[in-house]
Amino acid sequence: MKERAFITLTNGFKDKLFRLAKRLLVSNEEAEDATQEVLLKLWRNKGKMAEYKNVEAFAMTMTKNYCFDKLKAKETANLKIVHSNYKDERPSLQRELEAKDSLDWVGRIMNDLPEQQRMIIQLRDIEQYDNAEIAKMLKINETAVRVALSRGRKKIREELIKKHNYGVV
Amino acid sequence: MELSNIEKLLEKYFEGETTISEEKELKVYFTRETVPSHLERYKDMFQYFSEESTITATKDLKLNTGRTRTYTWVGIAASVALIAGIFLTKTTPSEPIDTFEDPEIALQETKKILNLVSQYMNEGKQELVYLNKFENTKNKFIK
Repeated sequence: MKERAFITLTNGFKDKLFRLAKRLLVSNEEAEDATQEVLLKLWRNKGKMAEYKNVEAFAMTMTKNYCFDKLKAKETANLKIVHSNYKDERPSLQRELEAKDSLDWVGRIMNDLPEQQRMIIQLRDIEQYDNAEIAKMLKINETAVRVALSRGRKKIREELIKKHNYGVV
Repeated sequence: MELSNIEKLLEKYFEGETTISEEKELKVYFTRETVPSHLERYKDMFQYFSEESTITATKDLKLNTGRTRTYTWVGIAASVALIAGIFLTKTTPSEPIDTFEDPEIALQETKKILNLVSQYMNEGKQELVYLNKFENTKNKFIK
């Protein structure tokens, strides 16, 4: 496969990879790196590309795995310098300042969800993949996708209702 | 769309039972200007979802096709050098070479050298006699 053909092919889903990576890693730079890494890996294995039934889904899975590895590495690196005594006991204050408008607030709620739910909402509500596709990408079954989806959405609703009732922002 | 219909869809939505097209309807509905006040709180959510789908990666992909090739050549060169190194060191002979024709003379020479060595050793050992002084002095004080 020629370079140009590869780039046109991946441009179709490159942004989706980026958004998934950003959802998981939060940082813009790290998400950019993850996207590059995944696409480069794909390019290096371009010989096998014909074997993949769905390159896009495959790339999404790769992105997920890459991000999980990154998160795990971060977790172990953080363990060494964690000082629980120094933890700020008032995260809400920080959040108040950070969540400038209500859309940011939704993002914040979403990023507080467990990774699985976060990913599934990202893939379903933002990227609009159907459950079967998501199940394949994440290597879980469709029922699990639906359950996680429902839980995640309900959690977001709950937080939004809280916010509306107390007017936290 | 009717309000009751939207409410029904929302209920289904939170159970995770809506289809993609139904969710699109919800998104369209909630990104409109006016939404009844009791549904106002869902507006942010759907707006956020549709806004998030427009984010794009800014970095352009760079595929360095040349780089992998140079690395393979470096690998090949290194392994060739390594193998050559192993063989070269193995083939250099390190066996002793005979310097005397007659074994009798060789024996004499060896004896001479060994005698010399033992002579020097004995000379060196004589100096060690002084060590006894330590022993004696020690015995004087420590009994």
